Amino acid sequence: VTFRTKLFLIFTLALVVSVGLVAAAVTAVTRRAFDEMNRQHTDALVAQFQREFAQRSDDVVHRVQGIADAEGTVRMAIDLSRPKGDVSVYVNDATGVAKAHQLDFLDFISNDGSIISSAEWPARFGYKIDWVLQPEDWAARGSFLMKADTQEGPALALLSVSRVRVGDKDLYIVGGERLGREFLASLVLPTGMRALLYMNLDPAFQAVNLIDSTGPATQADQFASIVEKEQQQPGEQIAKINWTTDAASAEMFHAMPLLGRQKELLGILLIGSSQHDMVTLQRQIMLLSVCVAAIGLLLGALLGWWGTARVTKPVRQLAEGAREVAGGNWNARVNVRGRNEIGQLAKAFNQMTEQLVDQRERLIQAERVAAWREVARRLAHELKNPLFPLQTTVENLQRAKERNHGEFEEVFHESTGILLAEIENLKNIVGRFSEFSKMPHPELSSVQLNEVVRSVVKLFEAQFGAVGRPPITPELHLDDHLQPIEADATLLHRALENLVLNAMDAMPSGGVLMLRTSPAEGGVHLEISDTGTGLTSEECERLFTPYYTTKQHGTGLGLAIVQSVVSDHGGRIWVESEAGVGTSFHIELPKHPPRRAVSFPISFDYEKQKDREPEPEKHKQEA
Amino acid sequence: MKRRSCRWLAATSVAFVLAALPVESSRRPRYGGTLRLEIGETITSLDSEAPSTSGEDETAKGEISSLIREVLETKSQFSVPGPFHVTAFEAGKRAMLTATEDYPQGRPFVDVIEITMGRAARERILDLELNKTDFAEIPAEDVRRAAERGVRVSRSQPDELLALVFLGGLEAKKRGPVGVRVREAVALSIDRGAIVNFILQKEGEPAGGLLPQWSSGTAFLFSTVADTVHAKELSAQIVPSPKIVLGYDSGDSLEQAVAERIVVNAREARIQLTAQAVKPGLENVTDARLIRLRMQSKSPAAALESFTESLAVMTGLEPTALPDPASPEEIYEREGAIVKSYRVVPLVWLPRVYGLSARVRDWTPPGPGESWPLADVWLDGPVEPAVEEGKE
Repeated sequence: VTFRTKLFLIFTLALVVSVGLVAAAVTAVTRRAFDEMNRQHTDALVAQFQREFAQRSDDVVHRVQGIADAEGTVRMAIDLSRPKGDVSVYVNDATGVAKAHQLDFLDFISNDGSIISSAEWPARFGYKIDWVLQPEDWAARGSFLMKADTQEGPALALLSVSRVRVGDKDLYIVGGERLGREFLASLVLPTGMRALLYMNLDPAFQAVNLIDSTGPATQADQFASIVEKEQQQPGEQIAKINWTTDAASAEMFHAMPLLGRQKELLGILLIGSSQHDMVTLQRQIMLLSVCVAAIGLLLGALLGWWGTARVTKPVRQLAEGAREVAGGNWNARVNVRGRNEIGQLAKAFNQMTEQLVDQRERLIQAERVAAWREVARRLAHELKNPLFPLQTTVENLQRAKERNHGEFEEVFHESTGILLAEIENLKNIVGRFSEFSKMPHPELSSVQLNEVVRSVVKLFEAQFGAVGRPPITPELHLDDHLQPIEADATLLHRALENLVLNAMDAMPSGGVLMLRTSPAEGGVHLEISDTGTGLTSEECERLFTPYYTTKQHGTGLGLAIVQSVVSDHGGRIWVESEAGVGTSFHIELPKHPPRRAVSFPISFDYEKQKDREPEPEKHKQEA
Repeated sequence: MKRRSCRWLAATSVAFVLAALPVESSRRPRYGGTLRLEIGETITSLDSEAPSTSGEDETAKGEISSLIREVLETKSQFSVPGPFHVTAFEAGKRAMLTATEDYPQGRPFVDVIEITMGRAARERILDLELNKTDFAEIPAEDVRRAAERGVRVSRSQPDELLALVFLGGLEAKKRGPVGVRVREAVALSIDRGAIVNFILQKEGEPAGGLLPQWSSGTAFLFSTVADTVHAKELSAQIVPSPKIVLGYDSGDSLEQAVAERIVVNAREARIQLTAQAVKPGLENVTDARLIRLRMQSKSPAAALESFTESLAVMTGLEPTALPDPASPEEIYEREGAIVKSYRVVPLVWLPRVYGLSARVRDWTPPGPGESWPLADVWLDGPVEPAVEEGKE
């Protein structure tokens, strides 16, 4: 994940969170506002219901009192107060009177509580209503809710009782209105609200007892839990009913218990408030929020993409520059303007690369000068040795000529022989230098490294045990399962010869020459170790420099040739040396070398060097 | 066929004439006048085979139909004229019967009987009050109110039985028969006294048997008192408690009131009983029905046999013939067997009550199986000009 992507994601996340928080806040505020509005509507409706109820109550009281005060009722009371008053005469009176006074319930009840006439249940004459005989000031009582029996079954009634006393006998008039759908229909409800009435006429919830202004309520079973809760503990409560899975179909119901004369639960008024508008508005807000968020996110994304691109461009340029520098392009520069941190960093980078280039050029120059010096020294050294006999021989010839020496001929022949020998020596020196400069490109073929190693060791077997010098014991640890590689056997042979010669030179007192082959990742590994005196760190560093040698008669080209061969095969070589223990050369060759020779950067394993700091005499140099 | 001469020999008529004559000479029978008569039914055809339309007053319908048909049959089959003959007929509205001058038993006193059809009971009573009619039958439950308003009423002996019948036989297959314990519980729960006193306004008498006291003399042996406690005990033994549907004639307000009262009584005895209006001729599924049975004879044996024949189809009771002549004990035993089966629960005996205008004289309520003796009726007061035929 790029720095720009990270920045973009952070920016987008921040944007999404911000938009989400705003949407949530708006939704919460809207919900709160709707809840408040619903509460106000419900309160208003409850208040309206209570006003309507009170008005109806007063109306019922007045109408029942009017019946009690009517002449016919008084005459009935007088008639029934007589010892043999005939109640059967009045058995049908209640129906007509109730109709005249628009009452749903009307009972004329005699002094002993027997029904004389009943409007709601005409056939119930003669039966007793005991509760009306209970001592109570009916005039002060006003109207009250009661479960009244009718021909069709029990009903919820708003009743009032009046009493007409003649002598010591009372005539009770119980009248009232049915609390049902007509009553609900009389309530003026705001849009989206409705009122339902549950008549608590049975011990358990009965769906048929739930009505609205049009009749039995639909899906009444949904109210069972609300009703049962009220039946257990009457009190105002709020409940929500989801009619369908759609949240917009939900209704919030405010349940209000309707209590009777004995504080018993007789009915439950349910004021429902549709959640449709609120949910719709919430959805609109949500949709708007989503749209705004989407547009914001899109714009934010575009802006973020552009902004992050703008912000990260200098960084990317710096990274690119760093990569180029790492890739060897020391001339890489970062074109970043500005005075901010990135600009300062870019400026520092450019300065750093300039300094690096400068230092590299200086280093190269120094290396070049050093190399030329070394070459000059080696040439001088190599040429000085044959030149001195040449000079001496020529001087001898001159002296022999000047002295006219009789032995001039003999001296001449001897001197020309020396001269030719030294000239031959010079030609050899020049030839070796020429040979190094004309290193051929490898001709690749399948080569078994072990065979090359064995042939080289066999070549030097005579010298290992030569008379007059301490013996060198070769040890071969060759992996029999080593895969063949593509290489130039001749060049490898030549490189190994140089390494073996090098090792032999390093062991003037004899020792062990160990050659080990092993498979490596993608190729093979060869280790040539000696038990010589080892190398210093400075020697390790310059070991592969052409014409650098620590030997008295060396040309300094042996290891350079080895390094060249290894490099031409796409491999790498490094040296590990420990003073007093010996030196190990490691070569790794790929199974399939690249077709063209690669450059051979010189590097020094500083990390490894660092790791070996406790052993300061042990060095490693990689070419 | 009745004969006017029989009426002249009736003891009541003689007594009435003897009682009236010394008081005022104008009370003597006189000819002429139009007897205005109102009935609740609507007769749409004078064809004896054609069914008449349903009307409010089945009793009046039967009487008038038989009266008119008697005229027609006499005319067509025997070539002997009846006391009246139809001179005008407007289907479903009114009819006019004119006195037959050469009636063998003597010419009727009134010249014309003007019949207005399709008048409801309340309208008939009102017309009687306002003297717009001379004769109309009044439902028993309205008699007290009519009398209080000054309507002159005439009652027959209670000869119509209002009974609750539990359907049996083929009828019971629709819902299944009601068990005898349930039937007994229902019978015991019914307060007949309240029905008579309140619903019938003391017209009629509670019925315990299938024959009235005046006919059999043994009716008092059947209990008419409700025993709610026993009814409760019985209903408590019945598990599960059946739901009984009691049907009543949808056009009969008395049956409706009685049925609703029975529902209240049954509810008190914890019996689940509901009342349901049924329409005659339609498929009705009920367990029990309220029916009216009118005695067809003053003879208790004949009346009982008539009843059992009528009830056989509904109740599934086998109509067994009584010995001829049957002793009162045999009649009582037979009557008691039916009552104890609780298939038939007698409720009340109803009289036939007639409202008369002040000018109607010599009206004698007919006995069981007898027609209205309109030929014996004469009108008091000045004779109004005769209504021309075909003229209102």
